[in-house]
Amino acid sequence: MALTPSGARGEGTTRLLWMAGFAGVAFLVLLSRLYHLQVLRGDEYRLRAEENFVKELRVPADRGLVLDRNRKVLVDSRPSYDVVLIPYFCGKGCDEVVSRLATLLSFSFDEEERVREHLRTARGLLRFRPYTVKVDISRDELDVIEANRIELSGAVDVLPTPHRSYRHGVWASHLLGYMNEVGPEELGKLNAEIEKAGGDVQPYQARDFVGRRGLEKRYEKELRGVDGTQRVVVDARGNAMRESDLIPEDQRFEPSYPGNNLVLSLDWRLQEFAEKTFPATAGSVLAMDARTGFILALVDRPAVDPNKLAGRITRAELAEIRADPLQPELFRAIQQHYHPGSTFKVVTAMAALEEGTLRPGGTVYCPGRYTLGGHSWRCDKESGHGYVDLEHALGASCDVFFYSLGDRMGTDKIAKWGSLLGLGKPTGLDLQGEIPGVMPDEAWHDARQPGGHQHGMSLNIAIGQGDVNVTPLQQLVLYGAIATGKVWRPQVVLRIEDPRGEVVKEFAPEVRATLPVKPETREAVMKGLLATVNEPFGTAWGVRIKDVVMAGKTGTAQVVKLGAKRLKASQIPYFQRDHAWFAAFAPADDPEIVVVVLNEHSGFGSSNAAPTAAALVKKWLELQEEDARRREGVQRPAAAPPPAAPAPPPPALPGKAEKPARAGAGLPPGGRRGA
Amino acid sequence: MPARASRPGGVVALDLSGLATLGAPRQRSIARFPWHVALLALSISGLGVWNLASASRSSHVEVWAAQATWMAVGLGLALAVVLVDYRLFRRGAWILYGGVVVLLLLVLWKGRMVMGARRWLTFGPVNFQPSELAKIAVILALARWFSTDRESDPRRGPRGLAGIAIPGALVLLPALLVQRQPDLGTALITVAVGATMILFAGVRWKTLAVLGTVVVLAGAAAWPHLKPYQRKRVETFLDPEGDVLGAGYHATQSMIAVGSGQGLGKGWGQGTQTLLSFLPEQHTDFIFSVWAEEHGFAGTLLLLTLYFGLVGSGITIAMNARDRFGQFVAVGCTALLFWHVFVNMGMVTGILPVVGVTLPLMSYGGTSVLVVFTALAMLASVGTRRFVN
Repeated sequence: MALTPSGARGEGTTRLLWMAGFAGVAFLVLLSRLYHLQVLRGDEYRLRAEENFVKELRVPADRGLVLDRNRKVLVDSRPSYDVVLIPYFCGKGCDEVVSRLATLLSFSFDEEERVREHLRTARGLLRFRPYTVKVDISRDELDVIEANRIELSGAVDVLPTPHRSYRHGVWASHLLGYMNEVGPEELGKLNAEIEKAGGDVQPYQARDFVGRRGLEKRYEKELRGVDGTQRVVVDARGNAMRESDLIPEDQRFEPSYPGNNLVLSLDWRLQEFAEKTFPATAGSVLAMDARTGFILALVDRPAVDPNKLAGRITRAELAEIRADPLQPELFRAIQQHYHPGSTFKVVTAMAALEEGTLRPGGTVYCPGRYTLGGHSWRCDKESGHGYVDLEHALGASCDVFFYSLGDRMGTDKIAKWGSLLGLGKPTGLDLQGEIPGVMPDEAWHDARQPGGHQHGMSLNIAIGQGDVNVTPLQQLVLYGAIATGKVWRPQVVLRIEDPRGEVVKEFAPEVRATLPVKPETREAVMKGLLATVNEPFGTAWGVRIKDVVMAGKTGTAQVVKLGAKRLKASQIPYFQRDHAWFAAFAPADDPEIVVVVLNEHSGFGSSNAAPTAAALVKKWLELQEEDARRREGVQRPAAAPPPAAPAPPPPALPGKAEKPARAGAGLPPGGRRGA
Repeated sequence: MPARASRPGGVVALDLSGLATLGAPRQRSIARFPWHVALLALSISGLGVWNLASASRSSHVEVWAAQATWMAVGLGLALAVVLVDYRLFRRGAWILYGGVVVLLLLVLWKGRMVMGARRWLTFGPVNFQPSELAKIAVILALARWFSTDRESDPRRGPRGLAGIAIPGALVLLPALLVQRQPDLGTALITVAVGATMILFAGVRWKTLAVLGTVVVLAGAAAWPHLKPYQRKRVETFLDPEGDVLGAGYHATQSMIAVGSGQGLGKGWGQGTQTLLSFLPEQHTDFIFSVWAEEHGFAGTLLLLTLYFGLVGSGITIAMNARDRFGQFVAVGCTALLFWHVFVNMGMVTGILPVVGVTLPLMSYGGTSVLVVFTALAMLASVGTRRFVN
């Protein structure tokens, strides 16, 4: 037992005092650190602690509805579920989770690869973001997912997401447009635009859907609505805690506001009738209210089901659509050029009358061909029409008559009147992507073609061939101008309403120009258009309607240069066949409706376009009568009369009243009755 | 030094200790029992159990009850240790040391694997960590060594390299075995405690300088041999916000918890970081952040004061120790307490890297509680037998 010598104690005490000093300093360091964290930077850390546990969930706004003029719902949203995967939460087990999901939801190879690709490439924060594995699963699939929740781990979630429902599939789908999920780069771009524009527009978030085409795109801002917010307390694993009052009551929920509704000028009863009546594979049927310029029906084929385009489409299907020679994504009514063919002859006629090239009552002899400078242009009737005046020339569609006018008048004069009637520039329909068409004058040819303008070109232009190109919508506006003397801006949205039905914005009819023609000119042209339908020699004599006088013009637009032999449509390959046109309005004395039908690659206008137009006119007049009768019967205004006071319907004939309702080709009584 | 003020007779008593004889009368011993140490330790234990009750709300496990039970067991053990004259431990020091080394080898060979480390030995229903016991064994072995070796003669002056080679080896052998498990935290504490005791024994400045250089070089050489997670922790310590979701998560969340406590804290059971499990290891190594979050700067100041009181008392006891062995035991036990507190709080507040070191009497864990109570009891034992007439 060695006892401590007292000398060492002194040494030891010194060292112990040193140690005490060291400990004192160490504790002071800790204390000052705590002071720094808790007192000096306490506020900042308090905020960060709150950010930690307050999770803001979005309460998606209901997107506005799209309604027809009678308030029939065309597009709405329905509840549905998306399956998402948060890669971070499954980590190394993700592969297995994906395999499991693939089995449960019967993924295609493509779909599974897409998810695996994302798992491989997602880095950093992306691993924390929910990745949409499958959109809009069925009720059965939802049950399957719920039943297998545990095996799928916390990484798989099913999110309720309202999906757009296009109730009538492909019908009018080019006009209505579609939506799909916003891409990562696009998201930044969209939000940068929103920020630049200022105001209190909500920025987009990942997984948002945005309008892509048509009205969905054009009225994205109005339809979108304002998302609400739900604030929940989450733990470190992101699980929501139910019984927690860490967030004050009044801050837990901010409701969402639905978007505004669009009320269209379409009458879905007419649209439905047109869709069912129009026999074409590809083409357009357009109907416009002659008194307002509002579109009543718009058939455009082929088209892709917008319900599919909203994320449900597979890569293979998309590739198939893209490869389809008929180009189903093309909005033909405003995005495709066509030769107007004989329907253009009204322009030539007006030009000739106004420019003095054609005297009223002037005639031309048609031997079946027209010769100019050693070249010969052939008439559609090989044997010739003999002596024809304007009425006969328009009615029977004699080419030689118009070759002669073109020959005498020249290209520029025709082009001038074509422009006045709205050709060569967009009609002003408020939708993206409208093309201007071509109304060539001499300068146009000089600038674009080797050798410049040749006089012979005016002959082709005079009958709507050559380089004249129009869209079906331009044809509609043109015939509307002939019918009423007004060049309308075609419109399709009557008004925008807020969710309670209050009108936010009402669209008034808009006249872009008035036709500066003498009454005699209009009368003369009208006579020709009446003859087309109402005279036995007229090209559309076969489709005349009882009781209503319709005026119109057939057209057959040549797609390829005529061969030596005349062939029947069935003998020519599809893409070389002519396009059939028919443009008409009725009643002729006080036009209410303008109709244009384009049946692509079907041959002659008289047989393949005119019947649809005539049926449509008839249907429209019947519907008008039906509405008027109901209004009288109910003794109060119907749900939604067209904005412009409708002209009194044509005097109803006794006995006709019962019939029309059933006359609609066996269709159910149109549309939904207004409230 | 607060502990000193309460015992004005301390210095006088020290002077008389040279006349010490064995076997103090029992009633005098009780009178000399350092009650303040017991009071401080029990206060911290009480706060610890109360704090655990809050920390375990989210997991719905009654951790605090288990901890209280361990404390009761620890208290019994401490009582036994205090009643035994500490000089008995002197005899057992080598046996304990030898036994611990065997157990440490056994752990490496047959230990239970938990989260990538072999730290536990299982005897029937009991799991325990020999590494915790190693700390006590090293304290006793070093105390024993320094109380008898030739170099202890003060006339020889501070020690050179030769004088600290054997005690150094005594520390490093178990420390390296612990590090093999791997358990960097316990190994570091063992080394820190051993180093403190060696320094207390006296080392030449020149030797210290040489050793310091060697340690720095060895550290640089050892860097590639550290486990990736250990390296990551050091890197994270240097830049905790660099990887908030990865390795920096512990440090960042802990600092958020501590800082968000502000001046007065969020109140018992109101800590959001705690309740919502943002704090990792909130029952054990990060228990201090729970306390700091819920009781604020006021609470941390209180706890710091209590610990400082304990460390100060330990140093005073060492000053007044009757013999060299007792003095070294007191220094060792105090160093153990101090390093645990300092490293743990430094880690929680982000001024030291994250290593697995518990906060004595606050962290949950049976072995830890028993070891700390044993160390405190040995301290009290030395304090009780500080002088004999």
